[in-house]
Amino acid sequence: KPILLKYRFPKTYRHHSLNASITKQRIGTEARALVRCRKFGVKVPGVRMVDLENGLLGIEWIDGMSVRQILGGGADDDLPEGDDDEDGADGEDDTEADDERVDHLEKFGISQDILLSLIGTEIAKMHRADIIHGDLTTSNMMLRTRSPSSTSSSPPSLSAELLLIDFGLSSASSMPEDKAVDLYVLERAFSSTHPDSEPLFAKVLDAYGKETGAKWPAIEKRLDEVRIRGRKRSMVG
Amino acid sequence: MYSYAIPHLDATIHIALYENVSNSEELLKRIIAASTLEGDEGDIERATLNYAFVDPTLVTSLTQLQTAVYHALLSSSQSNLRTKTVHSEIIYILNPTNNITEALRRFGVSKSTRSLILIRVNERPPHPSIEELETAMNDLVNGEPVELDRLSAVTDWAAVRKVYKLNGDVVLAGVKGDEEKRIVNELVISTVATKSVAA
Repeated sequence: KPILLKYRFPKTYRHHSLNASITKQRIGTEARALVRCRKFGVKVPGVRMVDLENGLLGIEWIDGMSVRQILGGGADDDLPEGDDDEDGADGEDDTEADDERVDHLEKFGISQDILLSLIGTEIAKMHRADIIHGDLTTSNMMLRTRSPSSTSSSPPSLSAELLLIDFGLSSASSMPEDKAVDLYVLERAFSSTHPDSEPLFAKVLDAYGKETGAKWPAIEKRLDEVRIRGRKRSMVG
Repeated sequence: MYSYAIPHLDATIHIALYENVSNSEELLKRIIAASTLEGDEGDIERATLNYAFVDPTLVTSLTQLQTAVYHALLSSSQSNLRTKTVHSEIIYILNPTNNITEALRRFGVSKSTRSLILIRVNERPPHPSIEELETAMNDLVNGEPVELDRLSAVTDWAAVRKVYKLNGDVVLAGVKGDEEKRIVNELVISTVATKSVAA
């Protein structure tokens, strides 16, 4: 089975011993978060290899597409034949991109609403494990088709599953404040990347609230407070 | 026997499985004695026993073994071994704690071992041929060599969950059968892979 090698290359702008220390820390944090998520049933790639000396993390290859690409946006509309891991050698078909917006969702056999609720559900499971992602954006979520035999933990009728990736900036916390900030980061990412994002994000929150259950009101309250004091907000009154 | 290579580490690995093993106790005694035997006799004996002897009871899949092997090779190549040899390191890595004796007790050969896995890692050329190794291994173990797909035939899944501490996990709640095995296997592989950074 294929494996993705995530290589954290030495950042020359850092002092080398600081770089070594940060790199090892990030890899360790990501590996531990991925395992903890998996234990709590959060859909994340499995860990296969940890090589601190060389700055490498080996994780299960996810054969899917990032949610960012699926939900689309104005700036980065894709060429109909493209898939993000191609090296862009064939750039001739630029003219087509302007006319068609490819509906990637069709390939996965689910509606946008379902996709949004999958996102909310998965984040809720992660927060239930008291893991704060730290970098929630649609680029850090992937959708892949499910073969009927692969798993029975989610509703068997769904033809796609959503995975969270990139836990390098994650932390552990049970505080509603931290979970609210995690959600707020996603809300801002939504509004800056995808058109007409408010109703989209609202659906994510619906599913999140449902999956979270009793702890949701506290988190929701904090989210409202975080929104008020967020960036570019006037702190009057 | 299953053989593969890791070109970037210049290593070849061979994994064999034996069933109906009758000389486990003798092998265990030889292994223990070999560590203190002196001189040429000691060297020859250690060379003869130069394998990781793994009890398959706690082995969930070939991937679990390969993951432990890879990390043992990494440690060896980075001069980071916690145990004496790359073979003992494999057994150390299979166990989730830092206690080497415990690892040997849980994953190593014991008097009661009925099926046995032999792993041979060659870290640099010359790499012995498959035929040479097969003969040597068959001479060593009084048992029946079988295909590696028999690996999970003797797995004690309850014991696996206990050793890897998977009993309380949310993801396993109310799950049974093949689904349970799949999830446990995945968690075991990930646990073995993250041993170097486990909290």
